[in-house]
Amino acid sequence: MEKFHNIGTTTDWIVMLVYFLLVMLFGSYFGRYNRSTQDFFFGGRRFSWWLIAFSIVATGVGSHSFIKYSAMGFQHGLSSSMTYLNDWFFVPFFLFGWLPIIVYTKIRSIPEYFEKRFSPSARFLATILLVLYMVGYIGIGFLTLGKAAQPLLPEHFTLFGQTFDITLMGIIIVIAIITGFYITFGGQTAVIFTDLLQGFILLFAGILLFVLGLDYLGGFKVFWDLLPVELKLPLAQFNEPPSFNFVGIFWQDGIAGSVGFLFMNMGLIMRFMATKSVDEGRKAATFNILAMLPISAIVVSNAGWIGKAVSIAQPEVVPPSIVPDQVFVVIANLVSHPGVFGFIMAALTAALMSTVDTLINATAAIYINDIHRPIKKYIGKKVTITEKENDRKELFAARIASIAITTLGVLSVLIFEKFPTVYEAHGFFHSTLTPPLVVAIFLGIFWKKFTPAAVMATFIGGVALMILGNYYPAALISPFDHGTEMDLKHPYTYIRALYNLFVCSFVGVIVTVTTVYQKRIVEILRSKRNHLQIFYLLNSVSVAIFISIVFNLFPLTILLPLAVVLIIFASISISYVVKYDPTNNTEGLTAWSIAKAKELFKGRPINDREGKKIKVNWKLKDGDDNTINFSENDMRTMAAESGDLVYISDARGYLGGLKSVHAEYGAPHNENGIVYINKEQKLTGLFVEGRPLSAEKEM
Amino acid sequence: MPSFFNTWLPFIYLYVVGGLFFITGLIIAVKSGSLNKQIPRHRKWFWLLIFGYCFFFILHALLITAALYW
Repeated sequence: MEKFHNIGTTTDWIVMLVYFLLVMLFGSYFGRYNRSTQDFFFGGRRFSWWLIAFSIVATGVGSHSFIKYSAMGFQHGLSSSMTYLNDWFFVPFFLFGWLPIIVYTKIRSIPEYFEKRFSPSARFLATILLVLYMVGYIGIGFLTLGKAAQPLLPEHFTLFGQTFDITLMGIIIVIAIITGFYITFGGQTAVIFTDLLQGFILLFAGILLFVLGLDYLGGFKVFWDLLPVELKLPLAQFNEPPSFNFVGIFWQDGIAGSVGFLFMNMGLIMRFMATKSVDEGRKAATFNILAMLPISAIVVSNAGWIGKAVSIAQPEVVPPSIVPDQVFVVIANLVSHPGVFGFIMAALTAALMSTVDTLINATAAIYINDIHRPIKKYIGKKVTITEKENDRKELFAARIASIAITTLGVLSVLIFEKFPTVYEAHGFFHSTLTPPLVVAIFLGIFWKKFTPAAVMATFIGGVALMILGNYYPAALISPFDHGTEMDLKHPYTYIRALYNLFVCSFVGVIVTVTTVYQKRIVEILRSKRNHLQIFYLLNSVSVAIFISIVFNLFPLTILLPLAVVLIIFASISISYVVKYDPTNNTEGLTAWSIAKAKELFKGRPINDREGKKIKVNWKLKDGDDNTINFSENDMRTMAAESGDLVYISDARGYLGGLKSVHAEYGAPHNENGIVYINKEQKLTGLFVEGRPLSAEKEM
Repeated sequence: MPSFFNTWLPFIYLYVVGGLFFITGLIIAVKSGSLNKQIPRHRKWFWLLIFGYCFFFILHALLITAALYW
């Protein structure tokens, strides 16, 4: 394969440098709006849907997309767009299941949900799986950044008479240092605003590249006629080749990936949690999937399509044997002028950094919520410190965690760089790491009967069966392959997602429907005098079996029955040890009790009467009373009563809720058009003297 | 000309298997009361969800037709 180096001119490098500086300054400006860990991680639940919808564009598009989709566009044509157009199937589950649950239950992270819904042990395993997932995602981001930068750099450089090779890992380490620096001092508000800016620029840069590419070829008709029919189809061939086929990608991306993206990607979830209400979160998600993703599909893939057309018309300019992951950079350089190329590359790399930043920020949030705080609680703090002091310490811990996560992300690149393209590396990653959590979250939200024993068996037994699938793909995954050929080097990169989803779901369902038998066994166990010893024995055997599966110590004919024993032992152990109340542990935590979750969120019955939004001037009131006070008339217009929840924001709509606050309605007064707020609300809302506010009832 | 196996079969598979997930989600949302069709705002959401499915269905059908015949 043909590799390119030293692409770009001095002008391009200057443009890139200036762009990066401007973006970092922009982010730092908004970083000052972080007043607490709540702001650092969640942006304070205050933003309008449109602001979040556009800020997601950079996260979605920037996520290694230009490089990997251009590579697939070059190799397989318009079908590279299919992963951007298959997310709608899970939207009802997300909008009316997961989104209201995460907002109304005030959970800070996915593992926290597992503790509330199941048990602390479920939270522990969910944390491990989620951190692995997030670190892997960060690794893929770094790999893409490295691959984007490599063609721009020379093969080696000379310093003090010594020649040094510029390796992919070397580039990635330098990029990681820059990325880590930015996120450590920014926080979620900075990331949201930087992404907002970059979302627009990225779309513009992608469309500009398409227009320039079409112009280079001589128009859309020439481009279309150059592509063979197979490359014009929007969906890949059904089950071939193994490196890119429809059915594998449907299960890997359309099912595991879509659920993973919407339900597990803490970076994305934190964006939705930063919207001012559940309905605004729904609007942001819908707009993103319905409008932005189809546009993004063109934006990220078109360099590959143009590249293919050029390679057919002028193979001497773009050789058909080019390294696929370099297509984007080569085409961007070919069709644009110096400076414009620099701008496109800067937009791409800065957005990629934004994606990685978002993920690092999200993983740091998981660290604080699911590792730092539980450990602190477990150890027991003797010295009492103020809330502010505690917040400051947690912010510091979050920053240290960001650095550690960045390092782990860089190390994970070592696994992914073995795949021929970023796309295949990402496909393997999704197929392998998402199924246990996807199944556990999904069944937890939508199936009230799903028990702690079942979720733990899904994590332990499901993962054990997945590992066996990895060792014995011909025996275990081939029944699911839909006729896809097994590539011996990377067996069933995509369709393994179907096998993994199946085994995890199967374990979860079987353990749930046999709950009554587990209870009986536990009762018998408890009636024994040495029940504790039996419990320890079950656990020891389970650990031994799991280790034998991880290290593939026996043939499949022995390991498979051992996996079944592991599932049985794990479910009995969990049923024995976990105290689970099917009513309390599901109230407000499944899709079947969202009304209850809303009521718990508010702390009193819901007022669903539809009112109007009003504009008011604000005045400061003395004291620490946390309610805010409107006139009786204004409250009537908003259809609000004392004790309802209200959202007030700076009336300038273009701020998108940056200056806003949530509060509770207090007793009314008689001054129409005036709202009384306290000093803390003024500070939190960042309200400016003399600027009117708009107010609306939340619930 | 590519065969049915590589043109319309992926399309049918996508919208039948994907459609099963979509319909299940919609039914759970309505049956659980999370999507309450008595509330006007939620009625709009219900139709928007159906529209989204049709939008992607038509988009893919048009793109396949364009690839084969245009």
